Amino acid sequence: MAAALNGVFPSTLQENVQKSKILVVGAGGIGCEILKNLVLSGFPDIEIIDLDTIDLSNLNRQFLFHREHVGKSKAQVARESALQFNPDVNIKAYHDSILSTDYGVSFFKKFDIVLNALDNRAARNHVNRMCLHAEVPLIESGTAGYNGQVELIKKGLTQCYECTPKAKQKTFPGCTIRNTPSEPIHCIVWAKHLFNQLFGESVEDEDISPDMADPEANTVDAEEKGESEDKEVAKTIPETETGNVARVNTRQWAKDSSYDAATLFNKFFFDDINYLLSMANLWKERKAPTPLKWDNVLLKQDNGEGVTAEGLKDTTKHYHKVWSLAECATVFADCLKKLSASFLKLDDGESLVWDKDDQPAMDFVAACANIRAYIFEIGRKSRFEVKSMAGNIIPAIATTNAITAGVVVLQTFKVLQGQLDKCKSVYMRLRQNPRQQLLVPEKFLTAPNPNCIVCSSEPAVHIRIDTKRMRIKDFRDEVLIKTLNMVNPDVVEPNKGIVVISSEEGETECNEEKLMSEMGIVDGVVLKCDDFFQNYELEVIVIHFDAERDEALFEVASDSSQIKQKGSEPAVKESNGKQPTKSTEEDDSADGPSTSKKSRATEVVEDDDDDLCLIEDDEDGNAEEKVVAATDKLSVSSPVKESPPPLQGGGKRKPSETIDDDITEIKDSDDEEDDGPTQIKRMRTDISNVSSNEVINID
Amino acid sequence: MDVDKNESVNGVELTEAENELYDRQIRLWGLESQKRLRTAKILVAGLGGIGAEVTKNIILSGVHSVKLLDENIVTEEDFCAQFLAPRAAIGKNRAEASIERARSLNPMVEISADIESLSTKEADYFANFDVVVVIGASNSELLRVNNICREKQVKFFAGDVWGMFGYCFADLQEHSFVEDVAKHKVISKPNEKVKTELVTASIQRTLNFPSFGAVVDFDINSPAYQKKLKRTGPALILLRVLQEFREAFNRDPCYKTRDADISELKRIRNEITSASSLSDEYFENVFAQVSPAAAVVGGVLAQEIIKVVSKKEAPHCNVFLFDPDTCCGFVETIGLN
Repeated sequence: MAAALNGVFPSTLQENVQKSKILVVGAGGIGCEILKNLVLSGFPDIEIIDLDTIDLSNLNRQFLFHREHVGKSKAQVARESALQFNPDVNIKAYHDSILSTDYGVSFFKKFDIVLNALDNRAARNHVNRMCLHAEVPLIESGTAGYNGQVELIKKGLTQCYECTPKAKQKTFPGCTIRNTPSEPIHCIVWAKHLFNQLFGESVEDEDISPDMADPEANTVDAEEKGESEDKEVAKTIPETETGNVARVNTRQWAKDSSYDAATLFNKFFFDDINYLLSMANLWKERKAPTPLKWDNVLLKQDNGEGVTAEGLKDTTKHYHKVWSLAECATVFADCLKKLSASFLKLDDGESLVWDKDDQPAMDFVAACANIRAYIFEIGRKSRFEVKSMAGNIIPAIATTNAITAGVVVLQTFKVLQGQLDKCKSVYMRLRQNPRQQLLVPEKFLTAPNPNCIVCSSEPAVHIRIDTKRMRIKDFRDEVLIKTLNMVNPDVVEPNKGIVVISSEEGETECNEEKLMSEMGIVDGVVLKCDDFFQNYELEVIVIHFDAERDEALFEVASDSSQIKQKGSEPAVKESNGKQPTKSTEEDDSADGPSTSKKSRATEVVEDDDDDLCLIEDDEDGNAEEKVVAATDKLSVSSPVKESPPPLQGGGKRKPSETIDDDITEIKDSDDEEDDGPTQIKRMRTDISNVSSNEVINID
Repeated sequence: MDVDKNESVNGVELTEAENELYDRQIRLWGLESQKRLRTAKILVAGLGGIGAEVTKNIILSGVHSVKLLDENIVTEEDFCAQFLAPRAAIGKNRAEASIERARSLNPMVEISADIESLSTKEADYFANFDVVVVIGASNSELLRVNNICREKQVKFFAGDVWGMFGYCFADLQEHSFVEDVAKHKVISKPNEKVKTELVTASIQRTLNFPSFGAVVDFDINSPAYQKKLKRTGPALILLRVLQEFREAFNRDPCYKTRDADISELKRIRNEITSASSLSDEYFENVFAQVSPAAAVVGGVLAQEIIKVVSKKEAPHCNVFLFDPDTCCGFVETIGLN
């Protein structure tokens, strides 16, 4: 109520606060703190929106929520709690997604300033576009662990949220998941797919069986010596058109088998593995997997401890120790019982939703992932670690959120007083920089990127696409919606005047299954893409390429030179096209958009926020390889280094500070994870988490 | 290197409820830190806005117990930043008024209130705590409590927020901690393309802290510091002016007497240093405690307490200053060479 007491603020600030109207997007960790600061400061008119509900694991930092609020709307409870701090303010709460078409430009125009307290890129991109369009100043913020960031986004003055390409997100090809896992995460993704095949939303591209169409298994070499053998196997296991081992329907088969642990175990971990072994080519340069029989596993006490139900009730052991194989098998059987019981209670057509906070669902994935890891001799992980990776968890603490939200509201004061030049981006760090700063402001506002694919005057983007394999539907869903964050795109091929994709339902349905090349969309074609709602027009310049195995069907670059630099190294990997068991990037949205419903891909976010856990994971060498893979990737695309020039010279910061740029991708750790059944996020090393005095160039 | 193994808190495994509630922070600072936090007894003396922020943050982190010590009553001014005391508690003791909301933040933490004056508390009182935080006290009181804490080997913190400006101070005496240092290790074979991996190594370090006296005695007019001022900004000078005001009037600048107090602040500034080292604008925002600034400084202070209790990560030595004009928060090391 500071603004209500004459003399606390200078008079101009007091007046500005008292007549302001503010929108807070997100009522998570930063959102709760922002809301508290706003009501205590006396902001009279606040609206807050969040589609999420309160979870137990929020309570260590989202302090407006208490145990009795678990399951309730974050926005509503945040409003009620904040009103107790100051009953004299008006707060309007929306339990809704900011991506909803109910919140158009006129909605955003009502506010003097918009404060983002989001946890996912899709919603951030969207609010960014809406605020640019409505010409409302936006303060963007995010935290991950000890790190935090606050930046002002004002059209024409500063760079927008999308001026710097965000780090690409790590994805895994389907054949890696199904045939040749080499890292723990591959096994975890597979285990989540297995859950979905048995109990979850059945998704065709989440097959867990061996992938016969794997090009690597079908080389000339394979014909020489493997063909007859392959055929022999093929006789016993019928094949589908797409080359998958037909399981008729895994779900039905499991049900018919009464979810018998031994039967299912032997199928997934013995028969299927034997089948993989028959694809001899795969194992020429790889360590071949070892099939496991249920009966043998139960005898295997590989850490010398007896397996009892009692033993697993010990929380610490259950959460933090790596389970023995026999323990995994015990958990597998136990979860199978519990999950099938819940599943069979559902009506026809209904399915379970995988949730990292659901004990049997999480245990099942931890057990299956570790059994598979054992088979492929990949390092096994504790349940705690598996949960991080399977649930896309970003660590989050109260203090970082409090500090970040404090800076957000102090910047808000400046925006309201018209002191935009004082709103330089601020970074929070665990360790002080060489100038002994802990909260580090930038020296200058960063000017807009003239080539930004969003806020430049004529946005254009080059996209490498395998036009012979990508279908129009996937171009819409994967490229325009999931990667370029459009909500409801229209696409026209201007030369021939063809409407390729229409936002009107049904209008271009006939095109959906066509390949791009079949529509005449080939190398050099420029597509006019438009999202009416976001008032966003974008030219997509198509560059055709033939994608390899394990390579993404498309790759976005902000200009053509970037494509050349990158060579053939794809940043987003997808599987070969036949059976699109692809892994595209994930949007770790809790508040986020509904795109996850459309996406059927195995999504894996490589988020630079999570590395701390990753580093801690390194006990067995496997995670370490992952770190390297990730850092290699960084050196390939590292878009953060291509930041636009600052307003005034001198924007180049010292190496110890350039790491701050990476933080642009930081998200609110709160509820970063979306628990959607198909999604997984993977962690990547982020040098910004490394001690500032120990930064070593990764290249 | 597994440091501190013998010191680890054996036998007190976290319960399932704790594992779930603290999940997101355990993923950051680890199980061992969480177990250490669970044993920590903290005293927060001075329940203004920043006191409320510190209290909130450490309760959320899952310490063992927090004692709230404050003899003052809740006033209207508190509602600018002190969210623990309800509106209806105006006129009541601030520590007692804060208990209920403090408890609801985390029922696993023991919260108690003490309505007596800090000045009545003797050495044995402070010895009951692992960490003592003193807010809003005079320099002499800070020196007294700091000395007791040194004697009793209790970690000592001070902090304050005036308007949008604030600072915190730590005297941890001798403090040992573990720090994770990331390094690149070459993992490729000699004949391959060089591949590296990030590995973390835990390193044990020890720091020695000077007492609060070093801050009080620090010469802000020394040529060396005056030279540094250009780089760091005048936050330390502002701190000194506000401390002098508190010493002189036995209160802080008050919004009700805004103009007169700004004149006094200017006079004090001119007395202790040159007018040019701290511009007048800084005095515009030193009234009451402004919530977002209390959040920043209280957040930093609480994080320092968590570091100290968990013996993990290097604490800031020894004065943290927050400059609201630039939103720069920096560390001054005062009294150590």
